[in-house]
Amino acid sequence: MRQGRGLSRPRGGSRKSNTAPRPQGRRRGRSQRTPWLYLAPALVVLGGLLVYPVYQLGLISFFQYTQAQVSGGEPTTFEGFGNYAELFGDRQFWEVLLATVLFAGACVVSTLAVGCSLAVLLTRVRAVPRLALMLAALGAWATPAITGSTVWLFLFDPDFGPVNRMLGLGDYSWTYGRLSAFFLVLLEVVWCSFPFVMVTVYAGIKAVPAEVLEAAALDGASQWRIWRSVLAPMLRPILVVVTIQSVIWDFKVFTQIYVMTNGGGIAGQNLVLNVYAYQKAFASSQYSLGSAIGVVMLLILLAVTLVYLRLLRRQGEEM
Amino acid sequence: MRSLSSVRLVRRPWRLFAEASALLIAVVVAFPLYWMVLSAFKPAGEIESSEPRPWTLAPSLDSFRRVFEQNEFGRYFLNSLVVACSVVIVSALIAFLAATAVTRFRFRFRTTLLIMFLVAQMVPVEALTIPLFFLMRDFGQLNTLGSLILPHIAFSLPFAIWMLRGFVKAVPEALEEAAYMDGASRSRFLWQILFPLVFPGLVATSVFSFISAWNDFLFAKSFIISDTSQSTLPMALLVFYKPDEPDWGGVMAASTVMTIPVLVFFVLVQRRLVSGLGGAVKD
Amino acid sequence: MKLAPRLAVLLTALAVTACAPQTSTNSSSDKDDKTGTLRVWLFQEVGNKPKEKVVDSVVTAFEKAHDGTKVDVEYIPVETRAQRVKAAFNDPASAPDVIEYGNTDTAGYVKDGGLLDVSKEFGDWTEAKDTDPTAKQSVTVDGKVYGAPFYVGVRALYYRTDVFKELGLEVPRTMAELATTARKIRAEKPELYGLVVGGAYTYGAMPFVWANGGELATGEGGSYTSAIHSAAAQKGIKAYTSLFGDDNCPAAKCAGMGGNDTITAFAAGKAGMAIGGDFSHTAVEAGKVKGKYAVVPLPGVKAGSVAPAFAGGNNIGVLKSTSHRTRAVQLMESLASKETQASMFEAMGFLPTFSDVRQRVAAEQPYVKPFAETLAAGTKFVPASPAWAQIDSSLVLPTMLQEVISGKKDVAGASGDAAKKMDEAFGSAG
Repeated sequence: MRQGRGLSRPRGGSRKSNTAPRPQGRRRGRSQRTPWLYLAPALVVLGGLLVYPVYQLGLISFFQYTQAQVSGGEPTTFEGFGNYAELFGDRQFWEVLLATVLFAGACVVSTLAVGCSLAVLLTRVRAVPRLALMLAALGAWATPAITGSTVWLFLFDPDFGPVNRMLGLGDYSWTYGRLSAFFLVLLEVVWCSFPFVMVTVYAGIKAVPAEVLEAAALDGASQWRIWRSVLAPMLRPILVVVTIQSVIWDFKVFTQIYVMTNGGGIAGQNLVLNVYAYQKAFASSQYSLGSAIGVVMLLILLAVTLVYLRLLRRQGEEM
Repeated sequence: MRSLSSVRLVRRPWRLFAEASALLIAVVVAFPLYWMVLSAFKPAGEIESSEPRPWTLAPSLDSFRRVFEQNEFGRYFLNSLVVACSVVIVSALIAFLAATAVTRFRFRFRTTLLIMFLVAQMVPVEALTIPLFFLMRDFGQLNTLGSLILPHIAFSLPFAIWMLRGFVKAVPEALEEAAYMDGASRSRFLWQILFPLVFPGLVATSVFSFISAWNDFLFAKSFIISDTSQSTLPMALLVFYKPDEPDWGGVMAASTVMTIPVLVFFVLVQRRLVSGLGGAVKD
Repeated sequence: MKLAPRLAVLLTALAVTACAPQTSTNSSSDKDDKTGTLRVWLFQEVGNKPKEKVVDSVVTAFEKAHDGTKVDVEYIPVETRAQRVKAAFNDPASAPDVIEYGNTDTAGYVKDGGLLDVSKEFGDWTEAKDTDPTAKQSVTVDGKVYGAPFYVGVRALYYRTDVFKELGLEVPRTMAELATTARKIRAEKPELYGLVVGGAYTYGAMPFVWANGGELATGEGGSYTSAIHSAAAQKGIKAYTSLFGDDNCPAAKCAGMGGNDTITAFAAGKAGMAIGGDFSHTAVEAGKVKGKYAVVPLPGVKAGSVAPAFAGGNNIGVLKSTSHRTRAVQLMESLASKETQASMFEAMGFLPTFSDVRQRVAAEQPYVKPFAETLAAGTKFVPASPAWAQIDSSLVLPTMLQEVISGKKDVAGASGDAAKKMDEAFGSAG
């Protein structure tokens, strides 16, 4: 996989050819230095602002590090794996982890299904319905998560909400049962995150040459067939990033659960990992325990991403 | 094998059905937004009342007044705009270059890099604010808009790079070869040929980075400490989330005010998204 | 694919070169400039203009009295206080000299090393002798004073006068009567909650525990131990949780409610009674029940007694990092003075922390009376321990109540678990 493409992998690819006017020579030299040149700004920004803090995060997770240490009131002490031991020793952590994985999985699948189908739908309609759907979706996306969650809670309120009246549900309480509360939050999460998938995939479809689609349509292929055998393969790089991003976001869902289930539901039945981390650690400034949770989340998500990419590669998709 | 005419016949009712469902879905998706705007206009006692009507007989601007009356509201708005626009432009440029590098070139650590880019998003942001805080302090950026712009660029880059990678990939290699054959320089190819071709991708990523910078609470409340004139719009929204006595009318009005610029931004750029490549990538 | 091992190597390499994470040095400043700019942070209220007006007049007078001193006031949203204040402790350059802070945060801020010990100045302050004892307790940690009380907030019993009249009900005088009255209302008018209660409404539940002789925790300073599982406390928990049921406030709807939800229900005319604060007055006035309700102190166990309420509210404190110690403490005293508190009540409805000032304003504004009575009957405060922040944010008490309400555990089991969690927090926070 790390083989050079075509001519491009000469060791030390001669500085001379870099300035030479011959197109082929230039391509050769490019593959050694140019990519790094192009990458330089991104690497500077990401190295400084993401890699370094993540490194600090790992470091903090091995120390006793609370607000008192941060502001210099008490000395930092090395704890080894103490924070991790505390975390893994908590039975609630494992329950929350399981709930998080299942809930995030459901959110990812629903969001992708809704987002992709609506993206395809957008390519089938004329300008007015398209703009209407796009604007509605953008509005949902643009609404601050904290407000979106509040509004959804209002809509489904047993006493004051219009939805129960429209559906004739009386004063059924959505947030009391564990599953119905998760379901309500899932609806809100899908509502505010499908637009991202839809717009991205739509932009991707638009980048597919029109002739390819027309040819497929002329062949009489069904919508599903066109998606399966024409669009999905061409969109794969975009679908990959959309999927990975959705996994990351939904695994880290916070505001929706926090606001809609009032901090984790009846007796904590709707806790997810990020809310758990907030309540256990960040809200009371126990950064070291919080960082340990962060490291665990990082490792889980990294593993999921790597497995996913490996599966893709097995299917012949090159990175 | 169907004939051309039968395809057309199938198409028309299909399209009408598709358009009807698109409109219906738009209504469903927009309903919570409508409820938000409606609640902003409802008088205080009516927002949560036992007769939830989808209209109000006594629309009131009181909630909006409370939003605009806040000190320096205009200033916050401008600050938010500066932050969001800087983030969109800078991250688009940096991501475009980086995406070209990882797509058009093969080099060691390429895949590792791509995955490393994502790593920082995998941890709770709260966990990163303390290290970022010290970083910003050491750069002397605390209490300036720079302390918001820099982290937001960093947080929107990974997605932008991954996303644009797909778009750069979709541009056929042959086009690049042809450009060089025609004697185009590397930077000419990059900016005058490749850049316009990946514009739809840039639009999608910039909508993403605009929204995440525009709606951010966490960095704004962690890094803008002592100089409220450098605050951003979400701070004007948070005022209404007072523990024990939240002002829902104010929350809804402030959120409405915050959502509108995003929609305007999108209407401005959506044409690019729709017209996109069109037939540019023939062959 | 050699990706994962490579990454692992990279990460271990980073970990091996580890040194301690960054900290800042927030030592107290030795300087005591008598001139220069004093920076003040106050909370931004929803209608902030009247507050600004009062503060402005205090500031003008202060600047006039102290030549060469300038005061710069900033208003910060309450929701952002945690991050702001922590950041101020971390970066003394951005820190203000004087801050307003929620009184449950006192112990935590002291532990973080942020607040200045003003015991001596507070003792010398002539007005301080009239300060309400619970208000004073809310600025005190380990016997030292870390600020001046700014205002208090307490909860009392809101009830519907029209419903009571229609059903021929008497205002309850004991906690037992409260429960029976609530059930009567629900039985006669099934569309109403009798007494609307919330499973996440800690400060609504605590008076039941306190009235039955229970405590949250016992001890002083760093050595608190939980008492929430004591027999008396359990009796209170039982009294509160028994109100959740179809005969008063159905568990399905009420278990998840917080304090604000119960007030919303009352204001919308969905409840016969509710436990609300003086700060809920505006919301109830804006609702459907305007003119159809009254407020009395929450009754205690014995007839004529008042159930101890939680004394919330805010304080004004000086930051340790200030380089204007004398002037900052003087400014704190003027901001929390009797005169300022009286005008602050006029402007914002904040209840004064001085007993005499409170009596005076209660005479002018009848709605204040039941709250002033509640305060006069004696109030309670949360343990002055930094662990409280952790107990509060990890929802130990709401979880306990909800476990009982939803039938997951019995009172003894739930309160025992809560006590264990509280003791862990007390232990780790030191």
